[in-house]
Parts: sequence; C-alpha cells; structure tokens
Amino acid sequence: MPESTNQRITSVGIDIGTTTTQLVISQLTIENTASGTLVPRVEITDKEVIHRSRIYFTPLLDRDLINAVEVSKIVETEYMAAGLTPEMIDTGAVIITGETAKKENAKAIIDALAGFAGDFVVATAGANLEAIYAGKGSGAALYSAQRHQVTVNIDVGGGTSNYAMFHEGKAVDSSCLNVGGHLIEFERQGDRITYISEPAETALKHRGQRLQVGERVTLPQLRPIVKAMAGCVVDVLKTSVHTELTKELLMTPPLQLAHPIRKVMISGGVADYVYALNGPMTMAEVTAFGDFGPLLGWELKVCLERDGFVLEKPEETVRATVIGTGTQSVNLSGSTIHLQENTLPIRNVMVISPFTSLIPETPQSIAEVIKKEILRLQVDRFEGIVAIAMKGPRTMSFANIDILAQGLLLGMHDYLCKAKPLILVVEADCGKVLGQCINASVNKPLEVICIDQLEVDNCDYIDIGKPLMGGRVVPVVLKTLVFNR
Amino acid sequence: MTVANNELEKVIIQSVMEELAKKGLLSHKGKDQVMAAAMMDTPLVPNTESEEMVTFPPQEEMQISNPFNADAVKAMKKLTPARIGIGRAGTRPKTMSLLRFLADHAVAQDAVFLDVSEEFLRRMNLMSVQSAATSKDEFLQRPDLGRRLSEEAVKIVSEKCEKNVQVQILIVDGLSSTAIEANIPDLLPALIQGLKSAGIKVGAPFFVKNGRVWVQDHVASIVNSEVIISLIGERPGLGTAESLSAYMIYRPNENTVEADRTVISNIHKGGIPPAEAGAHLTDVIQQILAAKASGVKLNQQK
Ligand code: B12
Repeated sequence: MPESTNQRITSVGIDIGTTTTQLVISQLTIENTASGTLVPRVEITDKEVIHRSRIYFTPLLDRDLINAVEVSKIVETEYMAAGLTPEMIDTGAVIITGETAKKENAKAIIDALAGFAGDFVVATAGANLEAIYAGKGSGAALYSAQRHQVTVNIDVGGGTSNYAMFHEGKAVDSSCLNVGGHLIEFERQGDRITYISEPAETALKHRGQRLQVGERVTLPQLRPIVKAMAGCVVDVLKTSVHTELTKELLMTPPLQLAHPIRKVMISGGVADYVYALNGPMTMAEVTAFGDFGPLLGWELKVCLERDGFVLEKPEETVRATVIGTGTQSVNLSGSTIHLQENTLPIRNVMVISPFTSLIPETPQSIAEVIKKEILRLQVDRFEGIVAIAMKGPRTMSFANIDILAQGLLLGMHDYLCKAKPLILVVEADCGKVLGQCINASVNKPLEVICIDQLEVDNCDYIDIGKPLMGGRVVPVVLKTLVFNR
Repeated sequence: MTVANNELEKVIIQSVMEELAKKGLLSHKGKDQVMAAAMMDTPLVPNTESEEMVTFPPQEEMQISNPFNADAVKAMKKLTPARIGIGRAGTRPKTMSLLRFLADHAVAQDAVFLDVSEEFLRRMNLMSVQSAATSKDEFLQRPDLGRRLSEEAVKIVSEKCEKNVQVQILIVDGLSSTAIEANIPDLLPALIQGLKSAGIKVGAPFFVKNGRVWVQDHVASIVNSEVIISLIGERPGLGTAESLSAYMIYRPNENTVEADRTVISNIHKGGIPPAEAGAHLTDVIQQILAAKASGVKLNQQK
C-alpha cells in the first residue's frame, strides 16, 4: 500500500477590495511528520508564496458595481505570469472585502471566476473573516504564538479597518470599523476633493466641519477630520465605552477586549505610513494615490503611541489579506479519520451544532436533541448538505462513542433517507472509531465522512476538499467566522 | 527526623511543622504527633488514621512566583506533562513539586509491581495464563522467562485457543498493570469491532501474566495465526503510568528480530485515546495482512 509522506498543493488567494485587487499563489507542503510506524500526524509544514500579483485598482463599472469580467482578466493575466493553468490550482479562496462586500458583487464574481478557480475555490465575504485572514497574513497570529503575547492586527484598507485579536495563534476576537484611507477622494497629488463617502460625511458632521466635492482643502483643514477617524480606530482598542462617532462607524459589534493587548500591528494599504519615519508634509504627499491614506496612517501611529500601545511591524502590509486568504484558508482535519465516500469535494456544507452542553446518556435522548435542532433550523427544507458538529462523545469510552453513533443514526434517520451523506465534525480525537461504530451498525450502504480535531464552533458553513495523503486527511475551509454572537 | 537530640533541632523541627501546618500540608493532628515524637526522642510511628491526604494543585497552576510572561509559561505547560514552569525555592524544588514527584514515582512503582486484578479479567471475559516467570521479582530479574509461556500455559493455549486464525490478540501486563486496566476496556471492543467489520477472523483474546513482548512469538508458534498483536503495559514514566503499546508481528519464527515488529505506542487518555487507537490498529493490521509483513519490512513496502 504505497503512500507518500509528502504532498504539495497549490492554493490561490484572491482579494477584491474597495480600492485594490490582488492575487497570490502559494504552495503548501503537507507532510506526515510522524514517520515510521507511528500514528500519522499530517500537518501543513510549509507555506511558500510562489507568485504575487501586481496590485491592481479594483475595476469598477460604477461606484458600486465591480467589473467582474475585468477581474477575471486580471486573474487570467496573473495565472499566465505565474506559468499556471486553472487545472494546476488545488484550493484557495476568493475574498470580497471592505466596501465592495456590501455591494451585490459576490454572485457576478463567482460566476466570472468559475473557470479559474480550480476544484476548491470559494467565495467568501464578511468583515470578520477578512480581519482574521489579514491578521494571519500579516504575521500577527504567528507572532502571538511565538512570543506568547496577545496581538491585535488592524488591517486598514480603503474603506474599513478590520481588527483581529490573536491569543497563542488563535483568533479570539474580531471587529470592523468603517474607517479607511479612501473615504475621501482627491485629484491625485492635488487638493481638490472629488468624492466624499458616507462614513466621511458622518465624521465631518460630528466635528461640525463642512467639506464639499469640488472644494480645495489645506492640510490643516484636513488633518482634524483624519485625526478624528484615527481616534475612532484607537477607541475600539481602548475601551468598550465608545464615543458617539465610533459607535456610528462600527460595522460589527466592537472588540470584547477580554485579553489585555500587548502588541498592535497595522497591515493594509496605509500600513507603510504607520511605520514611516515622517508624516506627509504637503497635500501633494497626502493625495499621492488620490486619497488621504498616507495621512490616516501617520495619524494612527501618533494616536496609538499617545495612548501607550506598542506597535510591532508586520511581515506583510498591503498584501496581508490576500496572503492570509491564499495560505491560511485551508485547515486540515485530524489524521485518523473515517471516510467512506465518493462525493468529495463538497461545498457549502451547513454546520449545525445541536449539543450545547454534555451529550445525553442514551441514543434516544441524543436523537431527540438532534431532531429538535433539525426542526428549529428547518433542515428538512434545506436542499443542501449539513454537517453535525460537536466537541466529542459524553466521555471518550468506547461505550459512549458507540451510544453517540447510535444516537446520530437515529436522529438523522429522516435526513439520511434522502440519500445524503452523514457528515460529522468532532473536536475530540475519535473520528475514526466513531465512523467505525456507525459503519458497524448500518446495514445499507451509507456515505460517512467523520472528521476530527477541528473546531467549527464559530462557522456557519464549511467546504470539505478531496482527501489528501492517501485518504488520511481532508482539507477543510471554514466560512463566515463571527466571534461576537 | 525521628529523633531530636538537642534543643536547636527541636526548634527547627517545630518551626518546619508549624510552617507545613500553616500551608495546609500537614494536619494539626499530624503535626502534634511528629512534635511529640521529637520531644520524647522516640521513633515516629506513622499513624495512618491521623494522616490526611494531600491534594495537589492542578498541574497547570502557575508555580513561578513572578513570571515575566505568564502566558508563555501557560502555553508551554500546555504542550507537555513534563515538569516545567514549576518554580523553585532557592536552589531546590518547591515542596509541592517534590511531593508530586514522589507521588508520581510511587504510582509508577505500583504500576510495575501490582497485578492485573482477577475481577478485571473476569469482567473482560479474558482467559488468563502465565509466562515462565512465576513471580514479579522473577519477571523483573529474568526477562528471558517473561518471553515464553509456562508449561501449563502452553497446554492451556494449545487446548483452548482456536488455531490458524488471521489475528490473535494478546493482553500482556508487561511493565504496567495499570495501563491494562485503564485502556483495555475501551481499546479491545473497538479493535474487535473494527477487525470483524473488515471481515477478519479473530481468535478469542486472552491475558498473559508476567509477560514481555516476545511472548507473542511463543503463542504464535502454538496458535499459528497470521498476525499476532500484544497489547502490553509500557514501562511507566513519571508523566503517566497508564501508557500502553501494541506490538504486532506477521508470522514470527526462530529468525525473527525486533525490527520485524510494528509498534504503536503511547496509547492512553493523554496520548492516542484507546478507542481511537483500536480503530487505527484495525487499519495497521489490515496493512500487515495485505503486505504479509510487519515492522521494517512493512515500511519498506510502503
Ligand atoms: C525500554 C525501551 C527500549 C529499550 C528496550 C530494552 C529492553 N530490552 O527491554 C531499548 C533502549 C533497547 C530500546 C531500543 C529501541 N527503541 Co525503544 N523504547 C523503550 C521504551 C522506553 C519502553 C518500552 C516498553 O515499555 N516495552 C514494554 C516491555 C514490557 O517490553 P519488553 O518485552 O520488556 O521489551 C521489549 C520492547 O521494549 C521492545 N522495544 C523497545 N523499543 C522498541 C522499538 C521498536 C521499534 C520495536 C519493534 C520494539 C521495541 O524491545 C524490548 C525487547 O524485546 C519505549 C517507550 C514507550 N512509550 O513504549 C521506547 C520505544 C518503544 N522505542 C522506540 C524506538 C524507536 C527504539 C529504537 C528503534 C531506537 C533506535 N533508533 O535504535 C530501538 C530499537 C529496539 C529494538 N529492539 O529493535 C520508540 C518506538 C517508536 C515507534 N512506534 O516506532 C519508542 C515508542 C520510544 C519513542 N517514543 O520514540 N527501546
């Protein structure tokens, strides 16, 4: 039974943001690090970015609508530049972020990219997920694990600031504020305003200041409003009692601040100005890219330092989100799992977590809990496939695992009658034996995908990829992470 | 510490006892007993009734007085049951660390010297035979005796065990009876269920007392199974005394060397959970059967 100890997968990350669109292609090395006859332990051992695209301005049809055809042309050009064809891409993610995510662009982009995306690309949007990818791409997640210091990454882009707090490498908190470098647009290297966005209007109103499209502004006129916005960014880090303006600009619930913050990293388009030695001195410097990004970056640094936050430099600034998307969106299941299937990959599997506390004692009571949840979520009306997620059996004893298996089969009986596969995601290391127990108690063919050592608590949907490493593990993409529920 | 010869010593003993009592490590009764013995220069006879159990603080509790980065210590402690981040008292371990060390050592000794209980074997419905080592002492001093069955055992096995099965399962106490009692109830049913689902013919598992790994070769020579698997108690350490290994071999014979065996170690609740191990071992045995080889020979075929 030959089996390789090492496999490489090529992953693409595409980030379509308010201002910029980027793409990276990375190669992930997956290895069984437990050699010899030991129990396998399959891990992602290396992530190498093999191609970074140019940074493109996001092609727009008008202010609200992304030009999906142009986006697909960008992707095509970059694949060519990297010497890759769509068939060579194994996995990855498209993330539509910032302001653009609010607009109804997702569908058009998914359609336009369908042919480029390989087997396993997903389109995801949502500020929290974006924040986490950015923090992983910037290196904040790794930093928090290596230095054992709680680190907050703020990805400040064109339209939004996305916060992700990391504790020992894990995202524990996230939030999104409607502040970014592109909220007011100018003639490039000039001082004439060409556009004022809604959140910028809000900030102006709060300051009692008035600016209009077509107007020319001086640096002293512009600075206070940018300072106010930078102040809001820091406000979210400092306290849970926010100023009126911060409250209005928050797009998600604020950070819960359950952990004291040791370090702050800024990624995104304005990051380079946060870490610059000097701030912009003239309007021409401020509006070098037709917005006020450089000034926002500088004011943010001033504000953070004034309030005693310690800034750490990220490894990636403007490409943090796209690198995070390309390299971090794939999770691996545990290495002893039970797969009896021929449907993988499956996308958009709805995750349901019926057990809020300890798993009940008998198969009947387990089944009841499942049925109730199925009824509550109207799973019977849902065309797609669901996965049942849980921490683990009542105890790790064989008896309890077997009882859980019986309970699951009972509770899912009606669902399984529709010839759908039984998908289970367990946190505890018992996927293989749970699958075995299920297999031993059904008398008709049943597809069972029972994977373990994955936490899917915070996600609503997962994509499960084709098995890797001779069926030892499956890649899983978790979607729609929301911490503040 | 049983006899105090001079005043100074008595004072020292008294203050140490007071300190221990204050920290809750010694009951008042216990303290009085030690003091009385010290004052009267009589040997201290431990009175089990007056002694109270010491409960240890949880392993993950911070033992370092002024950690520079408490998160770092916590994260590292989470990664290993080793004795790290335990602080120190001057150049020595803290009382709690020392007591925990002694207690863990006692647990390890118990695991080696205790027998798997008759009640357990009955509950698990396991036939029991013995190796050629007739006592624990002999077992420890003469590894060679633990590697073959006693004459009586040879008779029982040849009479009672099914011959020519695909897989024979042995449960062997080895160096930890504790490991057997802790893991077999969850491992064995998972393994048997897995093998049966795979349509593999399995002989009735039985227990070998005072056995070592090689005893499987002797059993295989009698039952003539294709694969023989020993679930055997590992030499206990100070981290856990509950760890079990599975040693498997395909058709051992007089030329068999250690490298012909496949081993999966570290089966216990803090390592590979026993039930999951049972399911995994099913896979490994299937591979061995398919390759008609185990150990290094199996790896070379992969
Ligand atoms: C003691 C010990 C040894 C001793 C055995 C001394 C003896 N004659 O009793 C010595 C130092 C010789 C040893 C050597 C090796 N060991 Co060793 N050993 C252990 C240890 C600590 C305890 C084993 C035990 O309790 N056995 C139970 C008692 C009752 O068995 P026994 O019949 O008294 O003794 C036999 C077994 O211990 C067996 N044995 C010991 N190690 C190994 C390793 C392999 C691969 C095999 C097949 C058998 C085997 O050989 C003994 C004689 O027959 C385990 C750790 C653990 N968690 O289990 C590692 C362990 C089993 N050993 C291991 C390894 C890798 C080895 C070596 C291959 C190291 C090397 N690179 O040379 C060699 C190979 C030994 C061989 N015989 O071929 C690994 C096995 C990993 C794996 N699953 O493949 C373990 C799990 C340690 C680890 N975590 O890495 N080992």
